[in-house]
Amino acid sequence: MIRSLFKKICSCIAFVLLCNLFSYAQVSFKFNITANGKPLLLNDSSYTNGFNEAYQVTRLKYYISNILFKGDDVMLFNERVLLMDAGNTDSIVFPSSNGNYHSLDFTIGVDSALNCSGAQDEALDPLNGMFWTWNSGYIFFKLEGYSPASKADLGRIEHHVGGYRFPNNVARRITLPFPRKLEVKAGSKHTIIVNIDLDKYWKGISDIKIADQALLMTPGRLAIKAADNFQGMFSIKSIE
Amino acid sequence: MKIKVLISFFLFIAAALVFISATNDDGYGPYAPTPLKFVIPTGWPKPPTDIFAKNKLTEEGFQLGKKLFYDPRLSSDKEISCASCHQPFAGFATFDHDLSHGVLNTFTTRNAPALMNLAWMTAYHWDGGINHIEVQPLSPLTAPNEMGSALDTVLLFLKADTSYKRLFKKAFGDANITSQRMLKALAQFTGSLITANSKYDRVMNGRDSFSRFEANGYKHFKVHCASCHKEPLFTDNSFRNNGRPINRFKDNGRMMITGLAGDSLKFKVPSLRNVQYSYPYMHDGSIFSVPQVVDHYMKVTAAQPKGLDSNLGSPIKLTPLQKNELSYFLYTLTDTSFTKSKRFGPDGPVFFKH
Ligand code: HEC
Ligand code: HEC
Repeated sequence: MIRSLFKKICSCIAFVLLCNLFSYAQVSFKFNITANGKPLLLNDSSYTNGFNEAYQVTRLKYYISNILFKGDDVMLFNERVLLMDAGNTDSIVFPSSNGNYHSLDFTIGVDSALNCSGAQDEALDPLNGMFWTWNSGYIFFKLEGYSPASKADLGRIEHHVGGYRFPNNVARRITLPFPRKLEVKAGSKHTIIVNIDLDKYWKGISDIKIADQALLMTPGRLAIKAADNFQGMFSIKSIE
Repeated sequence: MKIKVLISFFLFIAAALVFISATNDDGYGPYAPTPLKFVIPTGWPKPPTDIFAKNKLTEEGFQLGKKLFYDPRLSSDKEISCASCHQPFAGFATFDHDLSHGVLNTFTTRNAPALMNLAWMTAYHWDGGINHIEVQPLSPLTAPNEMGSALDTVLLFLKADTSYKRLFKKAFGDANITSQRMLKALAQFTGSLITANSKYDRVMNGRDSFSRFEANGYKHFKVHCASCHKEPLFTDNSFRNNGRPINRFKDNGRMMITGLAGDSLKFKVPSLRNVQYSYPYMHDGSIFSVPQVVDHYMKVTAAQPKGLDSNLGSPIKLTPLQKNELSYFLYTLTDTSFTKSKRFGPDGPVFFKH
């Protein structure tokens, strides 16, 4: 009874705050994924990686967390964990405080503590198919598809890149400087378009050949190789 | 003036909302949880982490977890419950089975461990691959050779069942059924499975005494076994190689999780409580009786195969009489108040597939 009363009062307060929010600045992100310079389409379209291996992508999901905006004298931090899905191109919206920002940092992956603190919900709900059941921990980056180069059954590609335990932790911090200073003023709205270049996933700091590693399902050396290519995949395409 | 009208209007709305929420009933009964206290048995260490820190232990949560544990309808063929493999009368292991039956005539590739004192562990399964008690059920629920289902299927089933809606409401405050709540409820049940009332415990607490046979066995135990099977839990929860050979599943144990060659054939040291009922033994159920286990240790410490744990570095030599004494000591770890517990046992008759 007291609890529900408290809840109601809280929601009233939240409502009032929310009304105020509309006068706040808003920054949203859009993540665009490309392969061979074209927007990635799931299922039907075929692409070629740097080793001349053709492939199709049926599923691409990854976690982004601890988003940080750095400015001259301001920092804006959001520790939320977001599950991104190439099949779903909605943008992420954050209320932002005023200031001049020059770069964006975020983690591909999930903080190690959240990998071993029991059952989680929302983006981290095991229902999202991003939690390993036999070797606890989240899959940080999941790419599935087919390739004639794959030696796995049915020509499958299954890359489940994850691992939170030392020395196999593959959470990677990505730093992206803005092409120009981002000035956030009261009431202003900005959209940052981040490009993810899948070509660089196969060929970056490490070489990931489908013929050699169509299946990547456990934390360890191969997962580290794949994760080392993350930084190179991301760039800021534009700020609107 | 206008402002005042506006304020009183908002206050009126707020008051109305409070009134409505207080009187509305969702039809799933009241929410009045009864908190439970997690009691550490006398003389036992504190658990290394508090598994209930973010999962408030309540009678209602425990009862929901228990219902889930005994419900075969969570499996794909509706025949296999957690309890099919973790049977109360076998100390929550599978009675008399080296490997357990999963759905559709499948078999597990490992022996079902006797579930007990899980709150003192920080890693679950023989290889320690599971890092928290709450996420453990994801493995049997989805494994094709265990319950063979999928998480969304299980949740759909629960959501369609009014009695589960009532139980979730009782345990968590509303009838919303989520994977997190289901897993937390299961952990309330499994984490409560404490066995600490064997003859051994009574002797330690000064309420009983060992026979001369058992007392001698206890001495042998302390010399040869207690370094790994540490009292009072009878495990130090470490991963060790006790000399079992590689089996037909090429099961490398801990190495499959850490990827380290040095962890090959290391398995989690199991507790020996209720060992009288939890046979067959070892990660693959390859030894069928306690005297045969002792034979294994005598043989393996004489042969000293590569990789054998250093705690087994010198030969264990026991006469036939001493072997019996050791076995009799191990049978003092039997706690029938646990294996026959009404609180932990099924509420009605259950059918176990063999
Ligand atoms: C088909 C048989 C089977 C079913 C059904 C089953 N288990 Fe198990 N359980 C096992 C086996 C086998 C292991 C050992 C797994 C391993 O080491 O890889 C195990 C291990 C465990 C452990 C770890 C114990 C320890 O000491 O590390 C827990 C806890 C557990 N099961 C709980 C459950 C729960 C809860 C359910 C129901 C959701 C369940 N089990 C259903 C066979 C089963
Ligand atoms: C080096 C540490 C170590 C020592 C010393 C040790 N054990 Fe074990 N014990 C283990 C490990 C590890 C396992 C599990 C091995 C496996 O699953 O293959 C185990 C398993 C067992 C089991 C099977 C329990 C079950 O539920 O499956 C019994 C019984 C047992 N030990 C008894 C003994 C006895 C009796 C002694 C003394 C003679 C002893 N152990 C000494 C490490 C040890």
